[in-house]
Amino acid sequence: MPFSIDCHGKTTREINRLLRQAIADGHTEFQVLEPDARHNLAVALLRPVRVIFEGSVGYYCGGMMDGGILEIRGSAGWGTAESMMNGTVVIDGNAGSGVAASIRGGTVVVRGDAAARAGVSMKGGTLLIGGNSGYMTGFMMQKGRIIICGDSGEALADSMYEGVVFVGGKIAALGNDAVIDEPTKEDRASLQELFATYRMQAPAAFKKIVSGRKLWNFDKKELEIWKAAL
Amino acid sequence: MCGIIGFLDKRGRPDAPVGQTLLAMLQALSCRGPDSAGVAVIGTALPGWALNVKLPERVPCEKAAAAILEALKEIALVTRHEILGAYLRLEMERTVEATELEKHLLAGVPGVEVVSLGHQLSVFKQVGSPAQLEQVYHVAAMTGSHGIGHTRLSTESRVDLSHSQPFWAHGVPDLATVHNGHITNYHKLRRHYEQRGYRFYTENDSEIIGVYLRDRMKTGLSLADALRSSLDDFDGSFSYLAAAGDCLAYVKDRFGFKPLVVAETDDFVAIATEEIALRQALGRDFLAREPAPGSIAVWSVVPAPSRAA
Repeated sequence: MPFSIDCHGKTTREINRLLRQAIADGHTEFQVLEPDARHNLAVALLRPVRVIFEGSVGYYCGGMMDGGILEIRGSAGWGTAESMMNGTVVIDGNAGSGVAASIRGGTVVVRGDAAARAGVSMKGGTLLIGGNSGYMTGFMMQKGRIIICGDSGEALADSMYEGVVFVGGKIAALGNDAVIDEPTKEDRASLQELFATYRMQAPAAFKKIVSGRKLWNFDKKELEIWKAAL
Repeated sequence: MCGIIGFLDKRGRPDAPVGQTLLAMLQALSCRGPDSAGVAVIGTALPGWALNVKLPERVPCEKAAAAILEALKEIALVTRHEILGAYLRLEMERTVEATELEKHLLAGVPGVEVVSLGHQLSVFKQVGSPAQLEQVYHVAAMTGSHGIGHTRLSTESRVDLSHSQPFWAHGVPDLATVHNGHITNYHKLRRHYEQRGYRFYTENDSEIIGVYLRDRMKTGLSLADALRSSLDDFDGSFSYLAAAGDCLAYVKDRFGFKPLVVAETDDFVAIATEEIALRQALGRDFLAREPAPGSIAVWSVVPAPSRAA
């Protein structure tokens, strides 16, 4: 039986304290009822526990987490799983802006759509989006991979340093120095595995986007490069 | 910060209990705007004008109300009047234009402000929390087809009733707006409009939205087109909502600086800065989504079903 926390009438602080106390007491499975889109739920969880949210969560759910598994049976607000070190976050609904921003590891799955700035500045890990993603997805990402099954917004992977983005649908516009590459056999195999793990339908084909590496170094006297960079 | 909310009942009832939903949504966003709170409700259409007039300060209410009634006597028949908190609520015959009516009133009684004017629109706002707004104006009992609301955290201009939101778009009956963000080219736009004779009643940058929409609609644009063109003409961060007699709309800036979530079911459209407002007011049986930056949407009021149908 999972340890159950009913959010009704409780503040975020009370809920997070209950969660921490129960973890300290040795519980590993949790069910959070009626989260009703409260902010900052289950932030900085440092133990390999599993938390199921029976409803939507607000901003920064699972932020700074290391090793936990969160399942959100609803939508998620801004900055979900921000700066996560490791672990898994699965959002059944849609995700607000900045989902998986700056994560260093782990996997974030959005079964619905992700809003603007998804996976910005990622430093590792995987962001899998079942639907469409908003503009500036993957902005300045440094490592890791983003998979968008639907369409992407404008400025996709703008100024990315490293890492890789796969898009199943249409790309509204690539960002600066983001270039199309050919998916390899290994890419296909690892994507197939990922889709099987989360029981999601893979699109028929993917476009692969990587860094053109032109912004890594530039000649400050070269005006054209400045124009592209700014 | 600031919190904005909007709700439209899609079941075609001009007297749906939208007030209680608006209040519940507003209360969920209290912490985003502790300075002031307000609502604009679109109710059943009256044949004449309905005005919410802010009474002058430092004058006894009864005396100020008498002065307003006296001033209005010359131009149109007042059919009902009632003092509600800081306001005089008036219902009048529609024998005079909205702009003329406002002008006449302001010239006749010093210190008054027309907070809303139309056939359906009613704006109530004040300094304080949504709970305090409810205490004075009984928002939960208000009925209508749709409405918008605002909780304010002031960053630029003073905290008083006049600078609170929603803002009625002076000169356009039944049009009101609520805004979260900053219109950073406000001063430039204000100068532009002042030179063309538009009057501003506050120092709040959000007031420019109503002036802008009024001006665009005067050139023949529909409200939807005016809302769309504001994406190009406003700088800064903005998620704003507009409520008119026949519709509810949102506009979200091209960068998506400010949050906004939308939920639509067969029964309603609900819009709020944070999903927490939707959940607290409307439960859990629907999905919420964040609209794309640079997008607008307009929902028309569903006409009341005819009795024969």
